[in-house]
Amino acid sequence: MATDFWTSSHYKRWIVDRSSWNQARAEDYRYVDRPEYIDYLSIYFANAINKLGKKLQFRQRVIATATIFFRRFYLKNSYCDTDPFTVIAACCYVAAKAEESPVHIKLVVTESRSLFSQSHYGVKHFSSDNSKLAEMEFYLVGDLECDLIVFHPYRTLLALCKKEAGNGQSHASEEGEAYSDLGVGADDGPRYWGTGEGQLELTPAAFQTAWSIINDTYRSPLCIFYPPHLIAIAAIYLTFILHPPTRPESIGLTSEQDTLFSEPSLEQPRQPRRSSRQAHGTSHSNVSQAKKPQDPVSFLAELNVSLPLIATISQEIISLYTLWDNYKEDGLPDAGKFAGNMDSPMSSAMGSTSVSPAKRTASGQIMRHDVTASSMGLNYHRTPASLSVGAQTPGSADDASGDTASSADGNMCPYITPVFLSGVLQKMRERKMASYAAVVNAQPRMQGVAVNKRLERTQAAG
Amino acid sequence: MLDEWTSNSLTHDPMRLYRLKRDRRHIPVSAKYNIMGFISSGTYGRVYKAECVEDGQIHAIKKFKPDKEGDVVTYTGISQSAIREIALNREINHENIVALKEVILEDKSIYMVFEYAEHDFLQIIHHNSTHRVPIQIPVLKSLVYQLLNGLIYLHSVHILHRDLKPANILVTSNGIVKIGDLGLARLIYEPLQPLHAGDKVVVTIWYRAPELLLGAKHYTKAIDCWAVGCVIAELASLRPIFKGEEAKLDSKKNVPFQKDQLLKIFEVLGTPNERDWPGVKDMPEFQSMKRLDYFTNRLHEWFRTRANHAISVYELLLRLFYYDPDKRLTAREALNHPWFQEDPKPTRNAFESLLSHSHSHSLQSQVPNPSHHLPPLRRITQDDAPSMVPMQGNINIGNGNNNAGGAGHGHGIPINAGGMGAGVIGAGGGGGGPPFGSHSQTHSKPGSSASFASLSGGGNAGGTRKKARLG
Repeated sequence: MATDFWTSSHYKRWIVDRSSWNQARAEDYRYVDRPEYIDYLSIYFANAINKLGKKLQFRQRVIATATIFFRRFYLKNSYCDTDPFTVIAACCYVAAKAEESPVHIKLVVTESRSLFSQSHYGVKHFSSDNSKLAEMEFYLVGDLECDLIVFHPYRTLLALCKKEAGNGQSHASEEGEAYSDLGVGADDGPRYWGTGEGQLELTPAAFQTAWSIINDTYRSPLCIFYPPHLIAIAAIYLTFILHPPTRPESIGLTSEQDTLFSEPSLEQPRQPRRSSRQAHGTSHSNVSQAKKPQDPVSFLAELNVSLPLIATISQEIISLYTLWDNYKEDGLPDAGKFAGNMDSPMSSAMGSTSVSPAKRTASGQIMRHDVTASSMGLNYHRTPASLSVGAQTPGSADDASGDTASSADGNMCPYITPVFLSGVLQKMRERKMASYAAVVNAQPRMQGVAVNKRLERTQAAG
Repeated sequence: MLDEWTSNSLTHDPMRLYRLKRDRRHIPVSAKYNIMGFISSGTYGRVYKAECVEDGQIHAIKKFKPDKEGDVVTYTGISQSAIREIALNREINHENIVALKEVILEDKSIYMVFEYAEHDFLQIIHHNSTHRVPIQIPVLKSLVYQLLNGLIYLHSVHILHRDLKPANILVTSNGIVKIGDLGLARLIYEPLQPLHAGDKVVVTIWYRAPELLLGAKHYTKAIDCWAVGCVIAELASLRPIFKGEEAKLDSKKNVPFQKDQLLKIFEVLGTPNERDWPGVKDMPEFQSMKRLDYFTNRLHEWFRTRANHAISVYELLLRLFYYDPDKRLTAREALNHPWFQEDPKPTRNAFESLLSHSHSHSLQSQVPNPSHHLPPLRRITQDDAPSMVPMQGNINIGNGNNNAGGAGHGHGIPINAGGMGAGVIGAGGGGGGPPFGSHSQTHSKPGSSASFASLSGGGNAGGTRKKARLG
């Protein structure tokens, strides 16, 4: 199983199509003011999982697993019917165990309470009772149908790509952890799909970009629509756009690439690629030039995967970034003042000096570790702008407070913020509850009482 | 707009509505299975024999011990061991691994429903030892072959079993070997944590590989292969080959030097040296080891005195007992050993040679050999199973007479439907009491706690098998 994705529960039961996801959101769409808020909630929840995971000192893979659990849970449930924060805490708790890095339940409770009680989440009563979280775990594992082993694109990235040699920088950052510290007893299995041979050489910076793009994909339900190895290949593909191959004859490659992926929007990066080649070549392509040049496009083409599908996934990732451009963290004391840099995850990758606690701008941070800001800045600065629509809108929602939700209903807020989405969520849940209560009250009184009795009994047992 | 109950729900028990919905949909274990009796218990919980109401199939249901605070059963979080066993079993599928049919989460307890296996290695060993007859080579070879076949699978999907021993290796009545109990198993593909981080001690002491005994932090699939070697020796001689005394953890949970167990190994295999095992000098307990008496290898002599009828397996065993984990045979190498090519060849039904007079594949003469050659059926008990077997008298429905018929029962009609109004389970087991899962308040502990104290092997009369389950 560890090597055979095709026999895994992940492949057999948990790759779903978008319509199943939309169907699962039907209730939520009924109670939300605008349908697009549901998409923003995907980012919002993933960020919350990330933050909780960071507080619990989780490795990136544990966070990714928790995120998958969360998405799977909401294939069967509605946001408005549940308390997503309790679910997030339980997902993290189970994911840690599933990934063999368990943490004590008390720690999860404590960290969840402190995180979610922050004003931008507005959770007033996160239970301090361990058994409440354990109870949620119990139901969660049931809804996950006990399928707790998850495949992630990181593994494919590691299997497909090797970093160029000769760069001994340390990878203290979370995003780069996996290949520097696989732990004891790491055992290279055969690649579990495809027929491709050998490995692709990526510069460390490019590798980090691919890694970060993979991180970012968890912000959308993308990660349950496609097999992880395809997501990884799409991330590698997008990485080529951001970090064009450094070999001199790569002009020939460009046309080849364009025919391979006849994606109009993906032709745009040609310009930044050229410009960055100069910047690139000086900084760290010496090693690869000394060796026999590798042709990444034919490498990708030789993989036994559907390239049109890769193009589709790449497009979806780009759409996610477009959406994300309109989403802005808030409520964090140190995030606000760098707001200008944080509107787009990709554009913020340029050499800003801010360190966002949210790690939303993963790629950017890696770049700062690996190369000088100036060498990469140009490249990064342009590419995302050309990829994404409507970025760089100046403006601020820093004053967002509890009543943002209502004031923003009128579509005036330039950004979607966590505070705002917390309000959206709260409103959905209240509406749902109210309608549920209405149904219960409408029924004969006895039955309503019976329901309450039953609830009390359940609770007593809990 | 929101009444008190609603807003209360939102803030104080926000998942209440969700749970209500889930509980309503839940089909209780008792509606799906008739519990026929109790099989065994261990540190994890208890195992029951059960019949599926729908199709009459027999299963073994492993019920994890529910957590208690005082006398009240409460949620305390699913144990790492249960998570492992569930997660791994959901992914794997092989003829020689016990198959998981489903997992039922109900009323704070976890029930894992496995395919049923009539026998296990420990019981077969015990049976033959009681009757003073060795396990015949055709049977022994078939059992070992299938065991290795299952282990190859586990290792190929990067699972270390870490608790192979006779009690965990089951055999169906058709003579198919099924490796069971993945409660200590672990995926070793790209682990985030080093192997020693989670579990200080792995593998029951008698089956524990020398590198583990010498404190290795770093271990491999070879530890399972060592355990297989111990199991083969035990099948051949009908007693554990390295029956050492386990040194207990001290008060600070430090793992002590397992002197006695190492001596038991050295007495048969000799003291390891750096020529055969260059890594031995890097073992944390190397210095302690050097202080032990010196022995030379006398495995061949061991065979002559203890298991002469099985001397043909000597060479295979010798290689499974290589001290250097890198030189020790892998499961696949072991399966390719010439012993399995020699006559008698292993059979798919490990008991085939017992069914007919000859070793041929003809099953025409069904005259069985003296009955003590075939291991007896698994014993199940009624009295020892208060927490799952219905308390009312005479509930052993369907036991014996109509198992084979299967379709005898009305489909889907829950027997013991007494307490299950509207299918809501887990409501505290109040009135009428669902017959199982009702441990919450009504149940008193004597039966269960007493039997938990008994060691693994439970009904199998295995004597005092030492468990090594920590962390």
